[in-house]
Parts: sequence; C-alpha cells; structure tokens
Amino acid sequence: MTLLESLLTGLDEARRHWGQTLLSLLGLILGTASIVTVLALFGGQATLTQDYLNEVGGVGTLVLENRDRSVRPRAAELASERLTYRDARILRDRARTLDAVIPGWTRELTYRAGSVGFDGEVVGTVPDYARINDIRTLGGRYLTDLDVERATRVAVLGWKFADSLFGAAPKALGAVVSLGGKAYTVVGVLEREEFRFAPWADNSLEYRNERAYIPITTAVAQHSADDALEFLTVRADPAAGVTRAESEIRSLLFATHGVEDFDIRPSGGGEGEDSGQFLLLFNFIFLVVGVVSMFTGGVVIANILLASVVERVREFGTRMALGATATGIFAQVIAEVLVVTVIGGVSGLALGTGLTGIVGYVMQIPAVVTPGVATIAIGTSLAVGVVAGIYPAIRAARLSPVEALRYG
Amino acid sequence: MLLAAAALTKTYRLGRVDVPALRGVDLTVQRGEFIAITGPSGSGKSTLMHILGCLDTPTSGSYRIDGEDVGTLRGKDLARVRNRKVGFVFQTFNLMPRLTVEENVALPLKYRGGMARPERRKRALALLERLGLSDRVGHRPDELSGGQRQRVAIARALVGEPAILMADEPTGNLDSKAGANVLDTFDELHRMGHTIILVTHDPNVAARAERIVHISDGVVV
Repeated sequence: MTLLESLLTGLDEARRHWGQTLLSLLGLILGTASIVTVLALFGGQATLTQDYLNEVGGVGTLVLENRDRSVRPRAAELASERLTYRDARILRDRARTLDAVIPGWTRELTYRAGSVGFDGEVVGTVPDYARINDIRTLGGRYLTDLDVERATRVAVLGWKFADSLFGAAPKALGAVVSLGGKAYTVVGVLEREEFRFAPWADNSLEYRNERAYIPITTAVAQHSADDALEFLTVRADPAAGVTRAESEIRSLLFATHGVEDFDIRPSGGGEGEDSGQFLLLFNFIFLVVGVVSMFTGGVVIANILLASVVERVREFGTRMALGATATGIFAQVIAEVLVVTVIGGVSGLALGTGLTGIVGYVMQIPAVVTPGVATIAIGTSLAVGVVAGIYPAIRAARLSPVEALRYG
Repeated sequence: MLLAAAALTKTYRLGRVDVPALRGVDLTVQRGEFIAITGPSGSGKSTLMHILGCLDTPTSGSYRIDGEDVGTLRGKDLARVRNRKVGFVFQTFNLMPRLTVEENVALPLKYRGGMARPERRKRALALLERLGLSDRVGHRPDELSGGQRQRVAIARALVGEPAILMADEPTGNLDSKAGANVLDTFDELHRMGHTIILVTHDPNVAARAERIVHISDGVVV
C-alpha cells in the first residue's frame, strides 16, 4: 500500500465513523472557539489600554510629584523647596534625554462670569502640554510661548466649563472670565474630550473638560507666593529611553533639592487612577479566563483524540496482521488527526469570530480577531492534535502486532 | 518442507522477572498438512502460533517459511511475510466494523499493493461466493451472525493466497452449530490442498486435524 493509499484510508475512516469524528470535531471547535473569543476580547482590551495611554501622553511620558514628607524629616529635606518652576527650567535647559518638560501648577479657584460662579481646577502650564496630551481647540488657540514669556492674563477653557459659564462653548471666545478674583481673557476653548473603556463606564478624560489652562508664569505671579509646582510632566526622548531619562532627572534635581523628595511614575497611572485599577482587574480576569479556556480546550481535544486512538490500537493490530506496515498505520492516523484538527480548528475559528462579535456587541467593548489570534487558535488546535493524536499513533505503530492485538 | 521451526524460545520480561513462554520448540509442517496445536491455557500454544504467524518474533531459535529465514526479519519485511505467506483467523473475528464484508475481505490485497481495485474486488467476491456469503457482500460485520463473521474472516485470510492458514481458537466465540460449520469449512479447505494450523484447547476440535501437536510448559510433548 502506498503512502497516498494509507492517507486515503485515514480520510475514509474519519468519514466512516462520522459519529466519533463529529464528537472530536465538537470538542475541537468549542475549544478553539473559546480560545479565539477570549484572545480577541483580551486583544481588544489591550488596544483600548494603549489608546488611553496615548491620550494621556503615550509610553515614555513620566510624571514627577512631590513625595510625602518623612515623619521625622532631616535638615536637607526641610531645606528643599520641593518641585518648582525653576526645576522645570533646569530640566528643559540641561537634560539631554528629554523631549518635553511641562511644569504643572494646579489650584482650586473660583470661576465667575456674569452671574455664574463655581469653584474649579485651574492649571498653570506651557504650550507643550497640548502637544504631549493631544489637546485640540474647538475655537481660538492654546497657550503660546509668548503668553508664558510675558505672563499674560489669558485662559483656555475646557469644554464643560466654557459651556457652564457662557451657556455655549463657542460664546466663551474673547469673553472675560474671573479666576480667583483676577480677570482673564478667554483665548481658546477646547474640544470635548471623551474616552470610555466601555459605554457604561465613566468618561476617563472628563477631568480635562472641567478646568482652565493659564500660562505657568501668570499662575505663579498672580496666585502664588512662590513657584512651587504640583507636578512636572516630562517625555523621554525615544532615542534615550525612559530608564536613562529617569536617572538624568534624579541627578539633575538632586543637585537643586539636596535630597530626593519626589517620585517619578509613568503617565496614565494617576490621573485615570480608577480606570487604571478597573483596567488592571479587567485584564487580569481576561488573562485568567483565557489561560483556563485554552487549557480546557486543549484537554478536551486531547482527551477525545486519545480515547479514539486507544480504542483503535487493537484494530491497528489486526491491520498489521493483515500486512499493514508501521508507516502505513502512522500515515493513516496522521490523515485522520489532520482532517479532524484542521476542520475543527477552522470551524472553531469561524464560531469564535461569531462569538467575539456577539460578546463585543453585547458588552460594547472592542474585540477583533486579528491574524495573530487566528494563528494562535489554529496552532493550538494543531499542536494539541499532534500531541494527543500523533504521539499515541507513533507508540501504537511501534507495538508488535501481538501487543497491539492485546492492547487495552 | 513448508515450515521449519527449530529450538524456538520466547521469554517475556515482566518487570525484573523473565518469564519463559517457549523453551525450545521444534516443529516442521509439510505443505497440505492440517495440524492442531493444543495444550492447557498458559502452555505457550498461543505464543507459538503468534511466532509462526509472524505476529511476534522469537527470542532465539530459527524459523523458516518456504525456505526463507523469517525469524530474524523485522518491521517492513515481517509485514510483507504476514501479508503474503500467512492468513490469520482470530477467535474474535477482528473484522473492521466500518468496512463492508467485501472491503474487509479485500483488505490484505490493498496492503499488498500493485493490484487495481476492480481486480481486488473480483477476488474478494469469488472467495465470498466459495464460502457461501455472496448475499452478504455489502453488509457490515455487525449485521452478520457469528458464524458468518468467522467465514468472512476466513475469506479475508485466504484472499492473498497465503502458504499457510492459521487460526487461533476459531470456534471459541461460536455456538456449537456455527462452530461445526466453520470446522467443516476448514476440512474442505484442507481437502483443496491448503495448509492449516489451528490452535485450540478443545480436544473435539483438535480431533479434526491430521496431526496434533501438544504443548505443555513451553515445550512439545
């Protein structure tokens, strides 16, 4: 019997015991489908996380914040002025590993325009803030270098505050708003910012709609006794990398502070603290479900294939007694396993893609079956087929006819 | 001389203990003989049959079929000998449950290769007719009675025109009437010149043979 004939015998066998083949297929299809679905949802979630990180500065953006004072601070710690606008200028002028340095000054001030008034956040910063955080104006302009240089009394309003103060965001342009009792000209209104991890989740960027931006120099001169900052955002030069940027910041600031009294953390962890936590939990759950379902799928497939091989070893014995060679038996089993795993893998991929669409639609989260996911799913199906079907087949083919006939 | 075995031994290793199943068996069979190998269970008669049928290899000793030394053959070569020289009939019939009667019978020809499907089919049908199974060719084994199944198995063993027909307790799973019928078939095949070796523990079955070889404790007595 030729190899081709052996393979054909295998295909024929798969067709003839279609009940068993169907059962194997079902296991494979369900296992593969669950892997596809979970990976696609997990992938969608990861894409979403990446999108959020890009919104808040992207990878490589670091935030410096004052560290809480020690319980019993030493003299050097007490003497330090903490993070200041001067630090920002030192980093901007001397650091070689940084692409952008953005001082962040924040205060809770009273907003007032006509009869409307409320307390809200005011941020003192520089033009680069808009560049790093992907902020776009709905009308007017953002802060300019000239604003910072001259400490002008101009403000850029977040969408919601512009809307609250003037009835409609566009009406705010050119108007005068009082911030902490000082009059500012509104030179720009920002686009409404929105980012939801799911439709039922809160807007993770809502805080940006509820603030005003003023030049850092104006903020310090008008509303502060000193030039202390609440935070300092920097972006590492991609060529230098985050690690080198961090060590350069530490050494430069140690020179002025005399003590390391600040923390450096990646952006996206603090401002979206809740979302971050939520995301972490979400991803963890998906990871666990993914691994478990991959494992379960694999075990189901392996179990069914293994059972069918064990059951048929005696039949192999008979075939060998009639003149089948070990190679012939092996080729027959390979054909059977391949036909089942390929059909099962492809059908499972199709079913999984459908399930992904349904789950993604119902939960309103992005989920895509990428070529990578498809490859992993089919690969898993094939790998399980090889381990569960072909390995026992090799063993079966190596038995003597007598051993195979007595098997089980 | 069709078949010549000399000083055959077979030792199984069970864990750390060697268990001898055959302890030096000499046996010769002439063409056209009908031999029964008998002995109590555990005597080694099945082991001897398996070695003679090339389903197992001896630990030592020599074994020749038609002058060819097959005791030292392994793998593919042994498969060829099983396919061409030996036709094997099992106690439990061992038909392929998903193949038809005709496909089952043609299977050894398929494994032999080099024969077109119509020719394989023609030979299978001819044998089935000889054994009175013409009306069952398209059926599956589970649609047949035990006696019919064993006759299909005999047809399968004969289809390749082997030098020897070997049967291991061929009536063991049959009622007395079906068993007698199968034994009649063996008698008839013997009359037609086939060489038959039959293993049984039943003296009545053994009595149908020309010569009885009695095995006890791994040796011929």
